[in-house]
Amino acid sequence: MSRIAVTGIGVVAPGAIGVEAFRELLAAGRSAVGPVDRFDTSGLGAHQAALIRDFKPRDFIAPMKLRRMNTLSRYAVAAAKLALQDCDAAGTPLPDDTGVALGTSFGPVQTSVDYMQEYVEKGAALAPPQLFAESVANAPGSHIAIEHGFRGFNVTVTQRESSALAAAMYAASQLAKGSARAALTGGVEEVNEMIFSVLDRIGALARGEHQEARPFDRCRSGMVIGEGAAALVLDTQTAAKYGYLSGFGIARDTTATISDWGDDHRAAAAAMRAAIEDAELTPGDVDAIYASANSTRKADRLEWRAIEALFGDDAPPVVATKSYFGEYAAGGALQLVAALLAVADQTLHASPGFEAGEDGMRIEVVRARRPAALRHVLVNSLSAGGGIVCAVVSREAA
Amino acid sequence: MRKPDPSTRIAVTGAGIICSIGRNKAEVWQSIRESRAGIGELTRFPGETFPTTIAAEVEPEVEPMLPVAAREAKRLSRTDRLAVIAAAEALRQANDGTATAPLPLERAIVSTGSSTGGLLEGEDYYFRRLVRGRRRAPASRVLQQPTSGPSDAVAQVFRLGGGVISNATACASAGAAIGMAADYLRSRHADVAVAGGSDALCRLTYSGFNVLQAVDPEPCSPFGAERKGITLGEGAAYLILERWDDAIARGATILAELCGYGASCDAHHPTAPAEDGRGAETAMRGALCEGGVGAEAIDYVNAHGTGTMLNDSAETKAIMAAVGSATPVSSSKSYFGHTLGASGAIEAVISVLALQEQLAPPTLRLQKPADDCTLDYIPHTPRPMRMTNVLSNTFGFGGSNVSILFRRAET
Repeated sequence: MSRIAVTGIGVVAPGAIGVEAFRELLAAGRSAVGPVDRFDTSGLGAHQAALIRDFKPRDFIAPMKLRRMNTLSRYAVAAAKLALQDCDAAGTPLPDDTGVALGTSFGPVQTSVDYMQEYVEKGAALAPPQLFAESVANAPGSHIAIEHGFRGFNVTVTQRESSALAAAMYAASQLAKGSARAALTGGVEEVNEMIFSVLDRIGALARGEHQEARPFDRCRSGMVIGEGAAALVLDTQTAAKYGYLSGFGIARDTTATISDWGDDHRAAAAAMRAAIEDAELTPGDVDAIYASANSTRKADRLEWRAIEALFGDDAPPVVATKSYFGEYAAGGALQLVAALLAVADQTLHASPGFEAGEDGMRIEVVRARRPAALRHVLVNSLSAGGGIVCAVVSREAA
Repeated sequence: MRKPDPSTRIAVTGAGIICSIGRNKAEVWQSIRESRAGIGELTRFPGETFPTTIAAEVEPEVEPMLPVAAREAKRLSRTDRLAVIAAAEALRQANDGTATAPLPLERAIVSTGSSTGGLLEGEDYYFRRLVRGRRRAPASRVLQQPTSGPSDAVAQVFRLGGGVISNATACASAGAAIGMAADYLRSRHADVAVAGGSDALCRLTYSGFNVLQAVDPEPCSPFGAERKGITLGEGAAYLILERWDDAIARGATILAELCGYGASCDAHHPTAPAEDGRGAETAMRGALCEGGVGAEAIDYVNAHGTGTMLNDSAETKAIMAAVGSATPVSSSKSYFGHTLGASGAIEAVISVLALQEQLAPPTLRLQKPADDCTLDYIPHTPRPMRMTNVLSNTFGFGGSNVSILFRRAET
């Protein structure tokens, strides 16, 4: 059994560049969701998203390199740089065989759209090669490797809402196996017009009177989406600065369709149990849950039922973070970062947007930030299509 | 977390494949035996003009091969459909024959590599929007665009409950997906893995490799002096992986052993491989190390062998450094082109079949090897030979490299 130390965190988040700014955003209970001004949402039902603002890529990336990178790559390279700066103060430089495992839910959709625009305008033979090079989902991970000379494993995982947690699971598994001493994991996402409009048209986004994300709330009407990047430095030979990744569980709800959540909460409960057992713990050791809850009717109900099924009446307090930065934000990695900050700061964050649960829901959703003794925090990710990944984040190395 | 236990042996108990030279293992192997490539005129995109005009296509209508109702099939992208067809063959084999107990599907994970996902359908949507504007384009067809589509589709069709993982590491995707799945069996995060890859041809990749000037106007000629680049292909393949002892207990027929894999990154360039082949060498050495064998134990290397100037010379250097210069090497891409995100899975199935049949597939059209390609590339015709350990190489954009070691099943 191994616990993998998190020794540095870099964040390019809606409303917060850098882990300290993100910490403040969470402490203030401030949502970064706001009106979409990047593209025209007229004619759509939803008009809100958590977008990156005030990000200056030149602060992180040399101008010559910048031209070769799309938005996703810029977010990811900046987050990686911030993460390495964050741990430089605490540890030694990372070795050459450092691995990279990133998650992204949609990947470079905007680059594909831009490419096809040029293809239509100029012809199939004259579209820009630079756009094609950036149209692969692993371009951000590749840029990070080139930037820092990381020659270990380099993979990009896409599993909808669970992408970043699935990537972290792989990175942790490789370090446990001994493939590398250290790894950089995390996720990256970009909100663009195409994803937004398609999600809106299938009715997935919050609309009407309650446009904000309201995870677990009885008035929730759909998700609000977000973007950005987060990078976590994992190291097997240094003490943690934030906490340890101590267990993972994976399962799938076989009642789900290919693009929606199912209704059998047992699979989510099984994934949570598997993660807890992987960490050699029991449900009673879990002091809090950082929930997947994304404000959709179906997924949130599935999750609270799964929590109640596993923990009974002794469920620990539950924090829903997606009302801060949206679903898909940083490929799902910001939720993991929030849980690590909770463990590091011994603080439970508030769940903005939650006022009252639906009838029958017994779990406690934390409404106001409070100090708490947190040894182990469970992190859930339930994705459309039925995939579930859960992780346990621990304060101590053993 | 539990670490992948290196002493846990992984059995391959099923394999499925669809590509331009066949719709299943039997058809594919027949083509391999007969040195019959599946490369012809590009027909998929009528009305579009590209600098090159050939491809390794699977037949246009694959719906009749799908084990699902038409209504359900409508929701699947072409990449999803190819995936479901290959996974169906693999699952059928794992449950057939000597097996006395079925695969425990409730603990089966799906791990798929794909670089395009539902991009083909996404392109239709882009085109309609560019011409007609947003409100008139049907959104339903792009819901399967994410590269996680094929894993979700396979999991849903076969009711698999162990979890879904998708790998979008460009052309190394399926190799990474298979390695990842083996690790999760070794760490007991799952009991069965349906691991593979799928990619359908689409305009963006066809055009993109052309604008990079990486496509050979003639059928590709890996390792050849006159090679000019890749031939684009499409297809899907899956392996069924189980822990060895579980497979024995179930009475399953073991096709081969997956002994290990290595993964690395060149950290050199977004699209070009490092010219010295160092990253590829590291991946192969990683596979040897995990499999606990020395370089001399490798009997055959199923190369990445794309047919580009850079890959084939760098890979040759890497093979010489990691395995030596006496080991026969070939590129099956000379049969079915470069199937991008699926290539690692398609060529893993070819490697398993080669071990079973004790027949190494050749490199077709290799009239004259390049001066810097000095290995034995098994030109023109398949070669019967004794093979115990085989390496399958898969490299991709971003400098990601994966090499998988398969061993002949003990008989």
